Formats: sequence, structure tokens, C-alpha cells
Amino acid sequence: MTSDPRHREDASAGPGTSGSAQGVRRRVEVATLQLVSRATYLKEWSLKTLFLMCAFIAVMGVLLIFLFVGLRGWPIFAETGLAGFLGGRVWHPTDKAFGILPLIYGSFVVMAGALVIGTPLAVSTAVFLSEIASPRVRSIVRPAVELLAGIPSVIFGFFGLIVVRPIVADLTGGLGFGPLTAWVILAIMILPTITTLTEDALRSLPNGIREASYAMGATTWQTISRVLLPAAKIGIIDAVILGMGRAIGETMAVLMVVGNAPVFPEAIGKPISTLTSQIVMDMPYATGDHRTALFGMAIILFAVSMALVALVRVVSRAGGESQGAG
Amino acid sequence: MAMLLLIPLALVSGCRRQGGSDELIVTGSTTILPIAEIAKERFEDKYPETKVLVSGLGSSAGIESVSNGSSDIGTSSRDLKEEEESLGLVDTPVAYDAIAVIVHPTNPLTGLTKRQVKDIFTGRVTNWSQVGGPDKEIGLVNRDEASGTREAFFKIALDKEYFDPTAVVLPGTGQVRSVVAHSPSAIGYISLGFVTNEVKALKIDGVEPTPESVVAGYYPIQRLLHVFTKGPPSGLAKRYIDFVLSSAVQDDVVRDAGFIPVSTQVRAEDEDS
Repeated sequence: MTSDPRHREDASAGPGTSGSAQGVRRRVEVATLQLVSRATYLKEWSLKTLFLMCAFIAVMGVLLIFLFVGLRGWPIFAETGLAGFLGGRVWHPTDKAFGILPLIYGSFVVMAGALVIGTPLAVSTAVFLSEIASPRVRSIVRPAVELLAGIPSVIFGFFGLIVVRPIVADLTGGLGFGPLTAWVILAIMILPTITTLTEDALRSLPNGIREASYAMGATTWQTISRVLLPAAKIGIIDAVILGMGRAIGETMAVLMVVGNAPVFPEAIGKPISTLTSQIVMDMPYATGDHRTALFGMAIILFAVSMALVALVRVVSRAGGESQGAG
Repeated sequence: MAMLLLIPLALVSGCRRQGGSDELIVTGSTTILPIAEIAKERFEDKYPETKVLVSGLGSSAGIESVSNGSSDIGTSSRDLKEEEESLGLVDTPVAYDAIAVIVHPTNPLTGLTKRQVKDIFTGRVTNWSQVGGPDKEIGLVNRDEASGTREAFFKIALDKEYFDPTAVVLPGTGQVRSVVAHSPSAIGYISLGFVTNEVKALKIDGVEPTPESVVAGYYPIQRLLHVFTKGPPSGLAKRYIDFVLSSAVQDDVVRDAGFIPVSTQVRAEDEDS
């Protein structure tokens, strides 16, 4: 391990320095690792700074967006009060009624249903890819799943509107706009996220536990259900949480199929609205307090996604500790 | 927002008063904006020495600004209110805006009363059997609040009573038409100019929505789109209004925007000037 960094520095300094100088430097380096030529030092320094700046831009992006949304949205909490905003049951901006409880409820209903449908599907796909599929089948299924992640969400929305909605309309007797249609579309949309991460988790398990299980005479099903899935539990939970993030933040596809009525759902085939879709619907014409309320909704979305990221970290850490202890 | 839009407007109007006489300021209704904008482009193509400034701030702002002289033409999708009648404004109707109530072609109903339309869209009536149709739940399709059609329907058909909040809200005329065309229980509304035979436009109070019944004033869910001038139109304002009323705009731009031309008032005499 100790020879590694020296090796890399040598390679980067290679063409710039003459052979004899390099020889001298190599000898010096054996004594003190930090002593390198000025050119190498500058190159290293500028690369380090470049990468630092890239990382900094990401951090600044999050901070600036947070500040912008926060400053624009904050006044609504003063206007209606936290309880009035989060707990208000009526969203009717032209009447100055800015209660977003139906929208929060809608967002969570849509997300929860998508997870209930999508998670078993995605985890099963991952198990199939990692444990059962032959390399040839895998070479077809995996690119298909990855392609699913690359389809623009407006296409999913269009598919939902034209194909899924009429089927749901026949089943529920309404127009087919509502949670059920959104669940089906979102379940397909979060499939690649959960599948890919679950497959990674399964593949990162040491092969020894598989072999041990089979050596004990366990069947494939027993190995998967009793050994592999429990062992990959933490990774799967992380995958599901990231799927949740995708589901709650999805906007365009949801907007096209959910019906956009800011009310508490009466049935799974009746229109509802979500935080994201309502922001998009209202943004073009909203002014004054209404606009502020939309930014207030963005704060809530921001808080939810931060909470989900924090949850992933907590779960991963707890998992790491329990595995370390066990 | 309104302030931001007004500032450049005020600046421009200041310039005009000082120097050039070939600038025309048109302010008002957002409903008329699509007509006014395209008419402006074609007008400027025809008379390159002129400049027309078009903005949409709402009908009331249009009437206000033409009466206090900060614009030359005020556009409005409503009639003058009582207190505005003494302002000395002259009304020139430029188009009809009629809204058709549409259902699936297989819907056995052929017409509703205006009262029934109101009851359906406010959510008092929720089943087709209550208005003489089959025993089936009504699927309400509404437009988003940014829509001028929704605004007009709200005022004319609903007498400003609130829409049923549980209705599906769709962000475009095309989407409303497409969803109604594929849903046997649906009802929606779109500008008459966008009705195709994918959907069935219902008679209202026994009157079929056609350009003829609208122009004759029989169809109940319609309104006139006006332009107002302070005193009878003159000079550049007259030239622009005559251009909007010419068949070049009426038969093309007005129809494309989903409105109905005021064909009886087409003036051809200025076509060759």
C-alpha cells in the first residue's frame, strides 16, 4: 500500500522530466515522500483545486436553491401560520385559502401505492437478475431495465393518459384520473432505481454465504429467501427509500394522470393532486401570496427529500454497525 | 408582475407623446391577446413605418388605460360597467367568444339547459340520470385556472359560482377534447372554434352552438370581445382596428384562436389603402 502514491506521482511526472533528473528524484523520494518537482506540485495542486471547486459547486447549488426557495416561500408561514398552511384542508388560492393538507396527503398516497406495487416487482427482478437468470437472459433483461430509467417522464405520463387511464376508467367507473393510474405509472418508473440498487446489494454479498447455504442442502428458493435477502436487507431498504424519493418528486407523469383536483381522495379512481403537480399547474399564473405558497410547498418537498436522504444514511450506518457487531 | 409590465409601458408611452406619431399602444384582455399579437405582426409587415405595442393586463386594466390616455386602444372581454359608461369610450366588437359544452358522441343527451350546466359544473348534479340521461356518474372535466376559457365559463355559465373542486383539471383545450372524446361519461367545455366531430357539442337552452346562432345572439354561453377607443377611432388606431376587422385577420387569426368572426361588420374599404 505505501508504495502506491509514489508510483502514481512518478507516472504523472514522467514525460516532463529528463531521465537522469527522474532518477535523482526517485532516490530523494524514497527518503521524503512530499518532495516533488515544482511542475508536478503545480499540476497536483491545480487538479486538487479543480476537483474541490467541482465539489463546491454541487454544495453551492444545494445551498443557493435552498436559500432561494426558503426566502421566497418563508412569508407564507408568517401569513397563514405553520398549522394553517400544513393543516389547512382547503386549497383555493383565488379565495386566499392556502391549505396544503390535501396536497401533502395526495403526494403520500401516490408514493405509498407506487411503492406497494413497485417494490415487490423491483426486488423480484433484482433477485432474478442476480441469482436465477442465465447470462444470456440477463443480457436482455438488464439493458431493458436500464432503458426504463432513461425514458423521459413525459412519455410515461403520455402512456398513462392514453393506455392506463381508459383501463382504470373501465375498472372504477370514473374518468380514470386518480391515484390508481398514478400508482401503475410510478411503479414502473421507480422499478429501475430499486432493481439496480437491490441487484448491487445482492451482488456485493460474499459468495461464501451462497456456497455455504447450498452446501447445507438448501434449495435456490431457500437460499434466496432465508439467506440472501436477509443479508442484503440494508441495501434493499436504501433502494426503497431512494425509490420513495423518486416517487414523491416525480412531477410531469403524475400531473398528466392524477386529475389535479386538490381534494382528499374519495376513491382510487377519483382525481387528486400532489405537491409537485400543483406547483406546475399554478406557477404560470400565480401572483402574490399564491406564488409564495407555491414556494412554501417547495420547502416542504425539500424537507421531505432531505429527510429521505438522512434516513438512508441512518439506515446504512445502523446496518454497518449491526453487521460489524455480528 | 403587473407593475413590471406597466413600467416599460409607461416609458414607451412617454416617448410616443414626445416624438414619433407612428406608435400605437394596445392594452387589455389576455383573451384577445392572441388576436392582437398576430394582427400586430401582420399590421407591422403591411405598414413597416408603424410600431404597435401589445400587452395583456386584463380587461379592466385595458379600459382604465384607454380612458386615462396611457394607451390608444383598450381591449376587453366584457362589456362596460355602469360607472365606466361615462368615460366617453367607443366600442368596436372584434370577435365572438362562444364556449361549447361537450360530451362523448355516444352520450344519448342532445342538450341541457343553462341551469343544468351550472348544476353539473358546480357539483350539485352528479349523475346523468338527474338530467335525463342514463344512470351513470358524470365525469367532470375542468380547465386550469390560468385558462381564459375557464374564466369566461365561470362568469357566463356558472354566474361566478365555484366549480366542483373534485373535477379533473387539465391544462389544455386539446387534452379536454381528447379525454372527453374517449370517455363515455365525461363532460367538458372548450371554445366553439375547437369543436371537432370527435365530441358532441350539446344544445344549450335548445340552441345549437353554431357560428350563426352565436352571431345572431341566441346561444347563451357566449360573449363579445371588444376594443375600446377614447372617442371614435381615428388615425393609426382606426387603421389598426380596421385591419383587425378585415378578412385577413377575421377569417384567419380569429378563427385560429377559436373565436368567431364578427362577419357582419367586416369593413373592406380599408383593404386597399
